[in-house]
Amino acid sequence: MNFPFGILSISGRWFLDFLAYLGELGALTGELVESIKLGAVRGRLMLQQIVTIGYGSQAVVIVTGAFTGAVFTAQSYFKFKDFGIESSVGGIVSVSLFRELGPVLAGLMVTGRVGASMAAEIGTMKVSEQIDALRVMGAHPVDYLVLPRFLAMLISMPLLISECIAFGLAASFIVGTGIFNIPYAWYWKHVVDHTALEDVSFSMIKGFVFGILIVLISCHQGLIANNGAVGVGLGTTRAVVYSSLSLLVCNFFLTFLLNYFFPLGSAL
Amino acid sequence: MATLSYEEPFIRITGLKKSFGEQKTLQGVDLDIYHGETLVLIGPSGEGKSVLLKHIIGLLNPDDGKVELEGTDLSHMKERELLKMRRRMGYLFQNAALFDSLTVAQNVAFPLLEAGLRNRAEIYKRVQEALELVELGEHKDKMPVNLSGGMRKRVGIARAIIGKPDCVLYDEPTAGLDPIVTDVIDLMIQRLQKRFQVTSIVITHDMGSVFKIADRVAMLKNGVIYFIGTPDEMKQSPDPEIQNFIAGRSGMCA
Repeated sequence: MNFPFGILSISGRWFLDFLAYLGELGALTGELVESIKLGAVRGRLMLQQIVTIGYGSQAVVIVTGAFTGAVFTAQSYFKFKDFGIESSVGGIVSVSLFRELGPVLAGLMVTGRVGASMAAEIGTMKVSEQIDALRVMGAHPVDYLVLPRFLAMLISMPLLISECIAFGLAASFIVGTGIFNIPYAWYWKHVVDHTALEDVSFSMIKGFVFGILIVLISCHQGLIANNGAVGVGLGTTRAVVYSSLSLLVCNFFLTFLLNYFFPLGSAL
Repeated sequence: MATLSYEEPFIRITGLKKSFGEQKTLQGVDLDIYHGETLVLIGPSGEGKSVLLKHIIGLLNPDDGKVELEGTDLSHMKERELLKMRRRMGYLFQNAALFDSLTVAQNVAFPLLEAGLRNRAEIYKRVQEALELVELGEHKDKMPVNLSGGMRKRVGIARAIIGKPDCVLYDEPTAGLDPIVTDVIDLMIQRLQKRFQVTSIVITHDMGSVFKIADRVAMLKNGVIYFIGTPDEMKQSPDPEIQNFIAGRSGMCA
């Protein structure tokens, strides 16, 4: 094929594949909405998933939050010291944790830990005909597998993000006041002055959106898995890659959109 | 069903076609299955017997043709409508397809819970009965990964029949089982038919089972029903293809 047409046809095919993929995700969302409308909630399964997704992810999220808060405090301090405003480190760390670092890092850690296991578990069920077995016995796979994970994620994600932020702030407080000797009162005043309810809303809304993305993308990869062990491996990889990338891209747009409703600086 | 005469088919398959990519698996299958009969489906491997069975329960959608259950066309039904229809049927998968995350007893109880049964004592009793029917009463607390292939298959059978379905579809129920258990399974299929008038469709390669349980035999070959008739008619058929299949002769020389 001639030069421009070759590239056009390849990029055209990518675009069409991408549209088809979005269509499949849309169809899964439709099924999920129908499942919610029918009230097909299975309490026990949802609780099991809350344990797996929420309870089980705490350690990962806490360590991530704490060390991010600690290093961010250190780096900010080194720079702020040049301007003599080192006591305001608490403010910048807090706003960053609430608006970006908390939701994004917790989201990425949950993707790696939970998204991968969702895709692998559902994918294995798919290739070993267990999904067909569900259908044969009158259980809709979306009701049985996706809805409990979705609801568990909606409940767990805000709590995990809160934990991530709380431990980030605590670590920041310890590093700032313990190592760099910023006075407690000054440090804390800056945190409180610069953090508003809007920032909390920011983190929670992002958390919900990321949680929905992770569940939909990971469950979808599981449900379409074929080709045995190779297919499950591929689906798991894709679940993590697609979830992480879409999370980061969505985060960019969300930041602009949410900043319109909850502008930064409104706390001052 | 008392409202239907024996002549009205329970399941009617007309002009069923299905291809997977280039491979044309089913090329126009016509088949009627009547209430209370045991139809055995035989034929060479890879000719689409399992695919046909999956169409009957609506796991696959046909490219052309239709499957009717008591006059209701299943082939274009939505999944949620199909779920209700499927509760009238039991299905044994070739590899049993047990849920790894549940114990044997939980697997067997699954159809009852899905049907909305909540009485624990009743569920326990029926699970125990179903497991004893397939001689697995003492293995109910094991996980499926700790069972042998034959045991998994028998759990699959218990799960397929526990909901007292009108119709049970068995995909190779006795493959890989020892002769005694094979006989137990064959007798169980017969007993279900005699006692509860359960309609059974059985895929098997075991010609002994065919003659023991079948009311009618259908042979699927080259994507169509090549032969259908009673076991006696099959025995007396002059067709060399059928006779070779019964006797297990490949026509090759050593």
